[in-house]
Amino acid sequence: MSDKPLASRRDFVMGAATGVLGGALASMGLYSYTPMAYDRMPKPKRTGAEFGAVRSVKITNISETSWFNNAHLVGDIKDAGGLLVDQYTIGWAPFGNGKGPAKSSYDDGIAPIKAMLPNDLEAAWDIQTKRSIHPDNPGGFSTLIEVEDLDGSKHKYLLDVGWSYDWMLQSFKREAIDQMLAAGEIEALILTHEHFDHFWGLPVAMKFAPKIPMYIHNGFYKEGKRYIADSGYKGDPIVIDKELTQIRPGMMAIKFDVPIITRVYGEVSLAFNVKDKGLVLVSGCNHQGILQMTSTAYQKLKYDNDKFYGLYGGLHISPFEDWDPKYDDLVLSLGKWEFEKLGCNHCTGHLTAKKFVEAGYPVVKGSARFRTSSPDYLGNGDTIVFG
Amino acid sequence: MTMDTQDTSYLESRRLVKRWAGPWPALANTAMIAVLFYVSWWIFQDPRGLMRMYTPYVGYMVCRWLLIMFIWLAYIFDFWPFRRGWLETTHPVIKGVVLTAASVAVMLVVIEGFFKGVLGNFGIAYFSPERLESLGITDFYAVEYASEAIMMFAAIASWLSPSWVVACENAPWQKLAQPARGLTVLVVTFFLGMIVYLLTMHSHMAILFYPWQEYTAITAPYWQKFANTVSGNFHIAWIMSCTVVVWVYETIWQRYPFNLIKTDWLRRTSAFFGIILVALCLCFFLFYAQDLVWGLNIRGTRREMAPDWRWLHVGEMAIFWLVGVLFLSFYGGNWPTKFSRPVNVLARTVISLAIGVAIYVAYYKTAHLFLGTQKGFSHPQQFPMIPTIWLINLFLINMWFMDGWPGWKAVPKTAEELEEAKSEIVAHDVTWTPKFARGLLFGAVAGAAAYTLVIAVLPWVGANVTLIR
Repeated sequence: MSDKPLASRRDFVMGAATGVLGGALASMGLYSYTPMAYDRMPKPKRTGAEFGAVRSVKITNISETSWFNNAHLVGDIKDAGGLLVDQYTIGWAPFGNGKGPAKSSYDDGIAPIKAMLPNDLEAAWDIQTKRSIHPDNPGGFSTLIEVEDLDGSKHKYLLDVGWSYDWMLQSFKREAIDQMLAAGEIEALILTHEHFDHFWGLPVAMKFAPKIPMYIHNGFYKEGKRYIADSGYKGDPIVIDKELTQIRPGMMAIKFDVPIITRVYGEVSLAFNVKDKGLVLVSGCNHQGILQMTSTAYQKLKYDNDKFYGLYGGLHISPFEDWDPKYDDLVLSLGKWEFEKLGCNHCTGHLTAKKFVEAGYPVVKGSARFRTSSPDYLGNGDTIVFG
Repeated sequence: MTMDTQDTSYLESRRLVKRWAGPWPALANTAMIAVLFYVSWWIFQDPRGLMRMYTPYVGYMVCRWLLIMFIWLAYIFDFWPFRRGWLETTHPVIKGVVLTAASVAVMLVVIEGFFKGVLGNFGIAYFSPERLESLGITDFYAVEYASEAIMMFAAIASWLSPSWVVACENAPWQKLAQPARGLTVLVVTFFLGMIVYLLTMHSHMAILFYPWQEYTAITAPYWQKFANTVSGNFHIAWIMSCTVVVWVYETIWQRYPFNLIKTDWLRRTSAFFGIILVALCLCFFLFYAQDLVWGLNIRGTRREMAPDWRWLHVGEMAIFWLVGVLFLSFYGGNWPTKFSRPVNVLARTVISLAIGVAIYVAYYKTAHLFLGTQKGFSHPQQFPMIPTIWLINLFLINMWFMDGWPGWKAVPKTAEELEEAKSEIVAHDVTWTPKFARGLLFGAVAGAAAYTLVIAVLPWVGANVTLIR
């Protein structure tokens, strides 16, 4: 019997095997990153949930100075092992244990002060200043949001509670937040995420309003949930587990599931539909990214004039005055969303604010009071009104 | 120390023989590497561990430069200054320790001496953390920025260094004795690496600082319109794809198809540029695949929707494939081997892709449970390339330095085997015939159809498959 047909078939198979690889690779290279390939991609659908409207939103910046010395904060993170180290182990107050960077734990930190929370905060913080690293550095981020309904009624919300007990007591007193909490004027506390500078000052709020309705992201770690109880909270937190949660007409919470530095997971931001103006977005730190927030809002919400009107918050671009070229992508791209008013501070970074101003964006300047270091952006005690 | 004048490299001169029949060698080595990986990860990288180099850029720089050191030592210098006799007679564990320690020592000289000490102090400030700190950058970011720049150089070297050996066959210096050959290839690839660095990464580093350093680098970078980002991650994407394709070509493809070319210069140049071409195909596909799964990228945003992260993720996905490729080649005996060369190549490509996808899925489903990282695809400070390259480094220590111990042992090749290996430089088992051409055409159509099917399925995957809950 001749081997010829066998050899011939073998040649065909070898050619076919080579061709499969070659054809697939050629297709990958010639088609994948071409305008033709992108033309066939479906455009994102806008589902546009109606969520009512408000007349105006007034924001009072209780504190945006999360820490006072950037080099100390970043140095502590470096000494602890970098940006992925668990925040509860770094050794910062109120979870220091006196053993230095990266040797602490939630249990070690809370043990000597637990019984003092939330009523004897001065003594608790005093103990922690002796057990923690750079105890004078903590400040905190906290914001009062006053929503004016279409009927003229006003509703107050507290967004985050800062970090240092000492600093937050001073800041709450300065803006009369302590009185508002004690009088039950603030309808709910919304914790944007679990980070030290937004969350660890919780006992200060609990001192004045231990039963206040509290919203948290469902990504809180077990230490965070324990801290809510250990801080003296007398209720059950409302766990935000859906992408959109309506707080009140015209006010929506948007949940983002993102891993965040120092072992934190997820952030909640807020959206307001201001009547006849458009959408206002408010964030604590915006770890998800501004344009992720605008894109989500664009697709999922319906708002007046189909327009982005205002933005406020920590925008988490250069919180440590660090930089990365991808942040320039944001500076170059933000303009197309045509915000009329940009109120930023905190983890936005002074460098970012400068670049925003250079790019011609409407950044609202601040008054540089109460330890805010420059008027580049809205500082402690400053207010901004949308509407 | 003596000069080695052998014309066959140590890796080519040995045959790795299984110590036990069946799957036991692969299982034993996999278990050993798993233990070594986790112990060394805990000691050096883990954010909860001892040295915590995963800051992340310090650990990123170290794992990449270690990879380069191993390539230099084994491939470029053919283990010089270690004598062939020592390599052949020393216990694999001792060799593993000594050669790894030597690589680490040279790595420290390169990083601390050359990049930080010489370049950072007398050339470009951003290579030196001290210089950056004195210019006002916080100490943490001074170290991170310098590490990022040094790491990026390693990314380029991880492609060019082995490419000169694998694709260019060390030409035109292949007849030089060591260390002359190694030094020559090193200097040439380092020189080329420097040019590629200046063309691809220098602008990225220049816009890290305010204002953009427009007198020393091209800002905004020339690639921004094409890549939809000013980030150098665009270059990481294709360069890492090149790195992966070099090893795919060397291992599971057995240098096919360019080894069909008989003319030396044509084969070598075709292989060198062919690797780049294949890498570009892979790179563009992996970027497009992400857009199909996650939706159109949005410039200026962060995380998985950002184009800069998606370019980075191209490199990350390619490295997951490389893990599959090397595992199949090292521990799977480059299976299958019984078919014709092209069929073997195609089968191994499919199998290694399946392994790579399986590792990718396993990584994103479980890594946060044991690596000290967090769950999620895109994290601003997490780089899956760190654990995957760390794992690859252990593969290389095991197979290059330890002769596959404990599952394998090295025996010298016979004269016939050496002759056969030499004749393998040009493949003689595949020839051009009308039937081959017909098969090639048929296969090309089938390959294009497979691609069409994949891009049709990917949006469905994005809508229906949830990898991370």
